[in-house]
Amino acid sequence: MTQERASEEKPYRRLETQSLLQQIAFRHGLEAMEASENGNLAWVTSGFPVEIPIAMNLGVVYPEQAGAIVGAQKIGPEVCGYAEDLGYSQDLCSYARASIGSTEKPEKVPMGSLPTPQILLACNNICGTVLRWYDAISEMTGAPVFLLDTPPLEKVQLPHNQEYVRRGVERLIEFIGSHFNRTLEEERIREVAELSSRATKLWIRALEACKNKPSPLNCADRFLTMAPVVSSRGTEHCAEFYESFVEEVEDRVRNGIGAIRDEKIRLLWDNIPPWHTLKFFNILASRGVVFPADTYTHAWTGNMVGTDTSSIIDEVVGVYSKVYLNMGLDAKVDKMCQLIEDYDLDGFVMFSVRSCKRYSLGQLVSKELVTERTGVPGVVIEGDMVDSRVYNAAQIETRVDALLEMLM
Amino acid sequence: MGVGIDVGSTTTKGVLLDSSGNIVAKSLMLTGASAAQAVEKIIQNISSSANINLNGVPMISTGYGRARVEQAEKSVTEITCHSVGVHHINPAIRLLIDVGGQDAKAIRIGSSGKPEDFELNDKCSAGTGRFLEVMARVLDVSLNELGPLALQSKKPCSISSTCTVFAESEVIGHIGAGESAADIAAGVHVSMVSKIAALSKRVGVREPVCVTGGVALNPAFRHYLSIQLGVELWIPEEPQLTGALGAAVLAIQERGDRS
Repeated sequence: MTQERASEEKPYRRLETQSLLQQIAFRHGLEAMEASENGNLAWVTSGFPVEIPIAMNLGVVYPEQAGAIVGAQKIGPEVCGYAEDLGYSQDLCSYARASIGSTEKPEKVPMGSLPTPQILLACNNICGTVLRWYDAISEMTGAPVFLLDTPPLEKVQLPHNQEYVRRGVERLIEFIGSHFNRTLEEERIREVAELSSRATKLWIRALEACKNKPSPLNCADRFLTMAPVVSSRGTEHCAEFYESFVEEVEDRVRNGIGAIRDEKIRLLWDNIPPWHTLKFFNILASRGVVFPADTYTHAWTGNMVGTDTSSIIDEVVGVYSKVYLNMGLDAKVDKMCQLIEDYDLDGFVMFSVRSCKRYSLGQLVSKELVTERTGVPGVVIEGDMVDSRVYNAAQIETRVDALLEMLM
Repeated sequence: MGVGIDVGSTTTKGVLLDSSGNIVAKSLMLTGASAAQAVEKIIQNISSSANINLNGVPMISTGYGRARVEQAEKSVTEITCHSVGVHHINPAIRLLIDVGGQDAKAIRIGSSGKPEDFELNDKCSAGTGRFLEVMARVLDVSLNELGPLALQSKKPCSISSTCTVFAESEVIGHIGAGESAADIAAGVHVSMVSKIAALSKRVGVREPVCVTGGVALNPAFRHYLSIQLGVELWIPEEPQLTGALGAAVLAIQERGDRS
């Protein structure tokens, strides 16, 4: 009762499944350590077709997720600084800097450094920096890099593009196979693809539940609960987590319980969040502002079902090439407009992430286009996901407050 | 009645309005190192000049130091306050360009007086009053003399850099090359105006256009901005007070809504 009363005072409600999330993260960390000790660990980029290494029985970890943890622990400037000491520019992606910095000085980054990799798997569907970043990690650790090249698309994937990426996925299977002396078993890839789809479908169900008023989830809830679908899709425990999660979310909807206590304004969030200042969302929650949708967590909604290895590879090619960051500005503007309409949002906040050029480029133009098409106002704020040195809270507050004043 | 207090990076302003919307008292002073002290002094000034005890009079604060005004019932951003303040004096205005000591804003004002869209300069002082302050110091003239000096120029120097620090070294280079102070001063204004014009175009140049903030007092800034935007500019009689004025208008409205 005492606990309940304490939480009643907060403007937002904590998810019960958050404790489950901590267990999963802990388990994931132990499994990664074990895989590394057994010589089976792959580091992968967030948009990589992780189903393939998982089906080939490799352990996987995500340096971007480790970067988010560095950010959340508020040690971003320090850890990025270790990479800067090596000569890397402050303009380089702060996920890359955090990753290089924590590989350089793992003893200084207990929660954000990853076990030693045996292989580095990069896919450039999310940005081109990943290749150079993984090259740097390769130099530091001796692990070889595999690049899955996904050329940008415009609206549809043409046959020659599809064929090229398909050949890349086949080469990936050969690369892992020869490096670890193993083959891809059809039964296993089917199982993994099915588990991946199960988790993704549940994740989509949770995201779509936010169309309800009040929204059962706020931005910070989704940024935390997205972790398994990013890092462990294709595993049994990931799918199980989302079953419990969806149950809680849908229970909130049935009972009219919102993520925040007094929902007045519904906004869209664009881009990666400032991991060092997630309280941004809670401060706004106290003023009745909820974010029922964002472009970031909606990026993990590709769904693949196939009957055999060949058809699953085709699905992999399509899903991972059609990530909207790989499809140009129009695709992103379409996505934002669609979310504003589907989730009945009053406005939008675009976070211009200083070190993520791929996500942030074109935001000023997109802002105009989105307002023109949807009629709702938006604001661009500037900062960084990990490096809090470029986050000016006073400037951000003035811009967001002005947007809210326009809406009230 | 209502009071508006605008705590800016360079100056703090206060306005007292009567219920018919007329200015009863106003005050302006340098913010200095303590925003709280400046606010206290401004409130005293208004109170004594109007000969009114301000206890119980609704007050709204704005500006970068808006949260520091303990006496205010509420704080509202300078974006909304400038918009409301300008609309109060000239409801026709559709684009407001406000250039203060540390930021520059372009605001599209809707027919109700509320902002419809806005853009602010980012973490850079190149398009702000601070830029002119730095350049006046380099040219060894006072800030008030800088604009008139620039207007004497027939051939402004080119200042290519948009960064205050690099532009300063460029200006020093021009001095070394024997360029006239007037041409350099004009170049400084042209460079600054190009940043503000770009900001304004992002919001959309809809006439009539108004300029406020301390920089609006500078005749060379107005001259070159008008040329770059290709429009006539309307300047209120006291362009530094519109934020405080808007806050005072909102203070009266707020009290009216509640009673």
